[in-house]
Amino acid sequence: MSVTVQLTYDMAREVGEPRLEISGARTVADVVRLTREKFPGDTTQFDKLSRVAALAVNGVLIHHRRGKKTAVEDGDLVAFVKAAAGG
Amino acid sequence: MIKGYAGRILEIQLETEKFVFKPLDEDIAQLYIGGKGYGTRLLYDLTEPGIDPLSAANPLIFATGPLNGSVAPQTNRFAVVCKSPLTGGIGNATCGGSFAYAMKRAGVDLIIVQGSARSPRRIEIEDDAVRFLPADDLWGQGTYATQEALGKKLKHAVIGPAGENRVLYAGIVSDERIAGRTGVGAVMGSKNLKAISINGKRKLEMDDPDAFKAYTKTVRDLFKEHPVLGESMKRFGTGAIVNTTNGRNIIPTHNFKYGHFDDAMQVSGEHMEEHELVGVKSSCIHCPVTCGRDVEVEGVGRVKGPEYETLALLGPNLEIGNLKNVNEWNYLADDLGMDTISLGATLSFAMELQERGMFEAGVSFGDPDGISELIQDIGHRRGTGDMLADGTRRMAERLGGMEFAMHVKGLELSAYDPRGSFAQGVEYATTNRGGCHVQGASMYLESVGPLTINPQNLKLKADIPVIQQNLACAINSMVLCIFSTYGMFPAAIHNMDPSSRTHWALSKMMENMGPLFRGFMGIKGKPMLWWEKWLTYITGETMSSGHIQEIGARIFNLERIYNLREGLTQADDTLPSRILHEPTFPGQTSGHPLDALLPRYYTLRGWDAQGVPTTKTLDKLQIRHSA
Ligand code: SF4
Repeated sequence: MSVTVQLTYDMAREVGEPRLEISGARTVADVVRLTREKFPGDTTQFDKLSRVAALAVNGVLIHHRRGKKTAVEDGDLVAFVKAAAGG
Repeated sequence: MIKGYAGRILEIQLETEKFVFKPLDEDIAQLYIGGKGYGTRLLYDLTEPGIDPLSAANPLIFATGPLNGSVAPQTNRFAVVCKSPLTGGIGNATCGGSFAYAMKRAGVDLIIVQGSARSPRRIEIEDDAVRFLPADDLWGQGTYATQEALGKKLKHAVIGPAGENRVLYAGIVSDERIAGRTGVGAVMGSKNLKAISINGKRKLEMDDPDAFKAYTKTVRDLFKEHPVLGESMKRFGTGAIVNTTNGRNIIPTHNFKYGHFDDAMQVSGEHMEEHELVGVKSSCIHCPVTCGRDVEVEGVGRVKGPEYETLALLGPNLEIGNLKNVNEWNYLADDLGMDTISLGATLSFAMELQERGMFEAGVSFGDPDGISELIQDIGHRRGTGDMLADGTRRMAERLGGMEFAMHVKGLELSAYDPRGSFAQGVEYATTNRGGCHVQGASMYLESVGPLTINPQNLKLKADIPVIQQNLACAINSMVLCIFSTYGMFPAAIHNMDPSSRTHWALSKMMENMGPLFRGFMGIKGKPMLWWEKWLTYITGETMSSGHIQEIGARIFNLERIYNLREGLTQADDTLPSRILHEPTFPGQTSGHPLDALLPRYYTLRGWDAQGVPTTKTLDKLQIRHSA
């Protein structure tokens, strides 16, 4: 089972890719943990950059589901999303 | 005269080349402020029902408000009002730059352009002098070259070839900014009017200049520290939203068929900052936010870069992930003088028609080939471009495909897919000028801002648009930049961990406080927010949230009865069939639940079941109307 993780721009710069493929995750918490493990260097940078981003599964914020306990399925897109403004 | 206004309206007759300065009507100013509100009142009163928008009978109104002419941040936009050739209803658009400031310097609150000239003309206004000049040498020139030829002494509002050729979504360009929506540039072109140039030496008179000055300093400091106005918009422009809407599955992709595009990051504001930005970023006069970008276009040089709407609608919407392409098309559209939102949605519609074998557009999704040429052809109404110059609704009427023509009331949708932003969908469906986001920006409270409610249930989804549309009507009448409202959430909210329990609790609280929210916004008390305080200090009239909501509702309802007078009906309060019926989120069985939300919206507005404002509502809002 594999999910795609869409990173924020700052995270993508660290990783060198806009998204990662993660296998073996059953919940959003697993996705976060596995993404953290794949992050280059020490994990403080991941912690810093992920702290300002909300998480969405297939576009829906996990706030409106079961938080980090939200289940993920094969083919899901989990996105780290920063708030923004403009128009 | 109330302070903050110049006190004069300049009325110009193009046929006779006569002009007259008339006094501003203080009663109208008190009821409708200025800008879009005052302009709409004039349009309603000055025109007979059913006029042809591209005829001499359609007045073109340039309107400032009491905040214009000041040095406060974000306070120098002007509104343009007329009957829209694209929608057949109310047409309006606002524009930044420095033209509004110059209008006030010339001592003019509004300019009403009546009739049409027999040959290309331009107008120069300097204080009390008004000159009518030939513009044959400028006709056919792009907006960049035209403004350069007109020089720096005066400030200009010009059209490019798109306006001259009456492309139905042509805009009016000033500096690097554009009054883009609803085809106001086509109306200017139909008048054979290439440019209005203006300046003067008058100063804005204020009721309490000391309080204004001290408070403006406080606001400037606040903006400097603000995560959006002082940081993200400054660094990344409005393009910072690309990655957000992409992550929330609401960035238009493949003519709104999908809400996510794998290569969206390549056309984001952050990518622009890192790879494409050159030199100083452009700004409207006196605005420290500097949301404009400068980029380099090969063979042209340094030009204004694309904003979020352009990035999304000419990027993912066409399945293009190369910023250099979008930069070039944005430049072409600006120089031809046309709205990139309508352009992007019309191009994607043409591509889908071609994909389905219904039209030979010569352009395809994911392929930049031919797009530059087609944009030029649209601006000059050549070949296939002539068809696209009429926008998606008319194309669909001729060629079919109305179910995937992405417009409301004839105006193409902005770049927030309402299937993941239900309040924004109600706003699109009901906004008087058609499918536009800056007439309320409900999406900020549900799908892109720092504290959002669940965008996919029915809670508050009819309430938010009412409050936001009222606010936007007032803002567009002051005339303030709508981006000012993005400063309403304090830094503390932005800096909160969005995965925290507190954040979740606040979001839930917001979602469940409907009556409280409406009640609070309706209170006529002391001015609290910066635009309320500025208005109070400038005009001497107390302005609070309650006053703003009342004035906004008045303007919104006046626009509504104008639209009804011009033949629009409840049936026009809708969304494209694709948005209503095709799901984009897993688990969704259909699209946007508009039918479940409209009745409540009508009730909150004080309209009957057919969407007509009741006499009680109109009387309560003191709206003069014909029976
Ligand atoms: S925020 Fe941007 S659009 Fe608004 S006034 Fe400032 S520079 Fe102009």
